[in-house]
Amino acid sequence: MDAGLSLIYILIAGSFIAAAGGLLGSFALLRRMALVGDALSHVALPGIAIALMFNLNILWGSVVFLVVGIFFIWLVENKTKLPVDTVVGVFFALSLAIGALLVTEGEILEALFGSIVDISILDFWIALVLSLAIIIFILYFSKRFALTFISNDLARSTGLKTSLLELGFLLIFALAVAVGIKLVGALLMGSVIIIPAATSRNIARSFNSYLFMSALIGVFASVTAILISVSYDLAPGPAFVLIAGGLFFFSIFFRKN
Amino acid sequence: MADEEKILEVRDLTVKVGNVALVENISFVVKKGETVLVIGPNGAGKTTLFRALIGSVPYSGEVKWGEGASIGYVPQKVDLERDLPITVREFFMLKTGNIGEVEVKEALLDVKLGSEYAEKGISELSSGELQRILIAWAVLGHPQVLLFDEPTASIDIAGQETIYELLHNLQDTHDLTLIMISHDLTVVYKYATQVLCLNKEQICFGAPREVLTPEELSKLYGPELTFYHHLH
Repeated sequence: MDAGLSLIYILIAGSFIAAAGGLLGSFALLRRMALVGDALSHVALPGIAIALMFNLNILWGSVVFLVVGIFFIWLVENKTKLPVDTVVGVFFALSLAIGALLVTEGEILEALFGSIVDISILDFWIALVLSLAIIIFILYFSKRFALTFISNDLARSTGLKTSLLELGFLLIFALAVAVGIKLVGALLMGSVIIIPAATSRNIARSFNSYLFMSALIGVFASVTAILISVSYDLAPGPAFVLIAGGLFFFSIFFRKN
Repeated sequence: MADEEKILEVRDLTVKVGNVALVENISFVVKKGETVLVIGPNGAGKTTLFRALIGSVPYSGEVKWGEGASIGYVPQKVDLERDLPITVREFFMLKTGNIGEVEVKEALLDVKLGSEYAEKGISELSSGELQRILIAWAVLGHPQVLLFDEPTASIDIAGQETIYELLHNLQDTHDLTLIMISHDLTVVYKYATQVLCLNKEQICFGAPREVLTPEELSKLYGPELTFYHHLH
């Protein structure tokens, strides 16, 4: 990490990304899209590869591909009778394969598993600003998202434009995945979103504590993972998933029901 | 009929999935304060009709709500996950934003539940309690119309009677127009001012004692008509 920023910057960026991911994940679980969300992060891979080829910031390459992927899911869900799981299973596995072919061998590990310890000052600010924007957006719309995902019919009966809310949520989801790729990589970003929220759901009784704990667990796992990866020269992405996954199994013993 | 009395006017409403019509050419008018019962056999399109009324499914034809009419909707069932981490109070707040202690208590009292239910998790409720919470949720913010989709099973007869009494009381205290789906013809005679018989098409619409003739009932339910006769 000689060329990178000092540890405190990395910890701050990692915390913000994880907080945004955890918060977003709480709603992704309400929407029952744990698996779709996870697979979606793979769509970023061809974008990363193309960005690397043309020497662009990988964030923008990921965003473009993710947004296309999101529109695709939204169209399939809203306009066709195709089962989303099947389409996602095929389409996103294809993305992963194409991405893997395009990315050169040296870069593939970084693209797949992330390397937050090497981020530039520009990456830092981008991560900070976008994570904050995601957090603010989610909190602002939290009641509308919650109602839409809990019961579409109830949401409609109060006059909410549910399909627009769905699209807005999916776009924010895409942005969060793109931002998080630096931290944990395209392969594992889904876990940053899903695992802290799944853990929080095991222990939270109220909705407010569910949101808060999701973000907190994400931040805790992120900080711990970065510290471990710096100390032992390990990839931070897998370290994050192992820590968050460990917390998830621990939380099963505290389930309410 | 003066326009201001109308709260809902439906004209030639048709809902199709592909080429199959789920409901076809439905037309009726509801006036303020009425109780309209929608009856018909299973699969007649009753729930589909309701979902079209709230704009949840695409339809052709016209659904015209009275000016400024707000709707409370109680779905037949809400497919809640068992571990949904949300309390009753928070569930209420999804609809109205911040509500005070008094409003929460009133909403619970409306459906004959104690204030201790405010802090219960939605997932801890029995199906009967959940239905009451859904009714309380629907009448939060004082809508003019309540759409109530009766559950097919899950609630025993005694429970059902109290639900109708409860709805009837709510109608008086909240000045509600009530449109509800029922499977029970005794309810029709007891509470309905209008009845809409539905079997994909509209079989009848009008005051129950006028339109529920043996001929219409036989069109609606088929030959097992005699069974319903006894309930009259």
